[in-house]
Amino acid sequence: MKSLAVMRNVLRRIVHDVRTLVLIVILPLFFVLLYGNSFSGSYRDLTIVIVNEDNGLASVRTAEVGRITLSVDLAATFVRALDPGMFDVVTSDDPEAAAASVDESGVWAALVFPKSFSNTVVNEAVRASGERKVDFEGDSVTILPSDPVDGPQTTLVLDDGNPLIAGAIRAAFEAAFSQVLATQQSSLTAEGLLDVRLLHEGKIRMLDFTAPGIIGFAMTLITVLLTAMSVVRERTSGTLTRILIAPISAWQVTFGYTLAFSLIAIFQAAELFLASTLLFDIRFVGSPGVVALLIVLFTIGLQGIATLISTLAKNEAQAMQFVLFLLIPSIMVSGVFWPLETMPATIRPLSYVNPLTYANAGLRKVMLAGRGIGDIRFELAVLGAFAFVMLLLSVLSMRRQAHTA
Amino acid sequence: MTAEQVVLAKGLRKRFGKRTALDGLDLSVTQGQLYGLAGPNGAGKTTLIRTLCGLLRPDEGEAHLLGWRMPSTRVLAQLGYMPQDFAVYDDLSVLQNLEFFGGLYELRRSQVRERADELLDLVQLADRRTQRVGTLSGGMRRRVSLAISLLHKPRLAFLDEPTAGVDPKLRRSFWDYFNGLAEQDVTLVVTTHLVDEALRCHVVGFLNAGRMMTQGTPDEILVETDTANLDDAFIVLQDRGELAR
Repeated sequence: MKSLAVMRNVLRRIVHDVRTLVLIVILPLFFVLLYGNSFSGSYRDLTIVIVNEDNGLASVRTAEVGRITLSVDLAATFVRALDPGMFDVVTSDDPEAAAASVDESGVWAALVFPKSFSNTVVNEAVRASGERKVDFEGDSVTILPSDPVDGPQTTLVLDDGNPLIAGAIRAAFEAAFSQVLATQQSSLTAEGLLDVRLLHEGKIRMLDFTAPGIIGFAMTLITVLLTAMSVVRERTSGTLTRILIAPISAWQVTFGYTLAFSLIAIFQAAELFLASTLLFDIRFVGSPGVVALLIVLFTIGLQGIATLISTLAKNEAQAMQFVLFLLIPSIMVSGVFWPLETMPATIRPLSYVNPLTYANAGLRKVMLAGRGIGDIRFELAVLGAFAFVMLLLSVLSMRRQAHTA
Repeated sequence: MTAEQVVLAKGLRKRFGKRTALDGLDLSVTQGQLYGLAGPNGAGKTTLIRTLCGLLRPDEGEAHLLGWRMPSTRVLAQLGYMPQDFAVYDDLSVLQNLEFFGGLYELRRSQVRERADELLDLVQLADRRTQRVGTLSGGMRRRVSLAISLLHKPRLAFLDEPTAGVDPKLRRSFWDYFNGLAEQDVTLVVTTHLVDEALRCHVVGFLNAGRMMTQGTPDEILVETDTANLDDAFIVLQDRGELAR
């Protein structure tokens, strides 16, 4: 059985290759653990601002004693009904500042309860559901339906830049409103009480939302594979040794590589963005120059990662496995498909050390919201630091490769 | 180290795991010398060259090239190195390979062209200058590699088996060229398996198991081993090395 001999030979070679063996055993388990952990979470720590101007009173007409004032404090009931694990509630007394804070400083939503919130809810509830009895100073009185209350609505300013989170916040708010309305035995729905203002006017589709991350991932995959393969080939063919024995420093070699692959990255990014916008009408309202800056910093860092991978890999096949080992988890924890806010605390540190997280966040801000360079300075700073550190490590790695080639 | 001593190694020791590749090795090569490094497979010839060039760090001992303790970047511009593997870009043409490496030595394009003409004539690849290296035979690729190593007119060149896979006629012209370089005070350290090549060296060092068994002119080695030809001399030296282990 010659086929069996071939099979035995293939397996024997793998068994002798400890790194490949470890990857074969560890990789599937690693993916399952990562996927299970990062996808099973629920939303946590979403920052919202609540401006409560409600005086907590409801003025109603009764059959027995005429007009009375009830103390119901429904806005407070609403806040208590929110899941404290899901929301970090910040209180404010400035409606305009609260609305402006949405999409800046990580605030997902601002909810402004008007002065007459409790009054409106109680009266609208009675008007919608018919008269009902309540206790008032020890007696049972009947509240009569009144004329429609003509007051300001509760305002919700919602960042819909992430359709998944925006949907979850709306669902949570509506559930809390339902609890408030239930205390008033009302058949009203939350929709009737809320004036919702979407930051991006609902124009961001799921496709738009995921596109920056997917483009970032495509850049990662292409850049890391291309760089790692090139460096491994350069080393295994002996040309790297030949270069490094010439009067050229490891810095100069690394910088040359960086220039070449950055040019390739810019070309590929332009191709990706053009194809995405022309073929699928992906939202791109920001500056291409800012995106280019972000991409260059990001890909310089990626080239450093690739150079480090090439140091570990004996050959191109091993380099490919290392790339997969790193890259597939990187997209899982980057916030491309599901938000960082859903990830368990055990997984989040991986997100924070993952450069794709920051590339994705920066690209989203520029592409989806048209933000400028000042608005993504945090992402640029992180990616800049990443690029610098990786460049340094690349130089050290190049020196090492010269001695191990 | 005297001004004439271009290569000086003292007590070089290098281990790879449990295997000792260099075992307290001393070496001295003077300016304009054509030094042949001979020895069986695995004797440590390539490790010695890589250690001398600063590509490997010795566990013990020290090496000096052109008066500089290695590893040093100061000698690189004057150093030629031809590794045992081809170490050429298969996807570039012969001339593009020469142009790239010439650029690293800060040769102008016209200088590269001039040197390329001379060296491609030597390695008999003048008519292949625009051909992709990947499409050349193994022997031809080795010849490209040799041309690259000598492109920048090094003062000192380490050539690791430059004639492997090269036909006898061309081999002879290589050795004539090496002798011509030595006459111009270029120092060459060349590894070889072949006795007839060792005979063309000014000095031959015989390595076995990481030790320098002997070194001297071919005639001195014949006297020392009490043999009539270098073939027998090498067998005697190899046997001595095995007995000493």
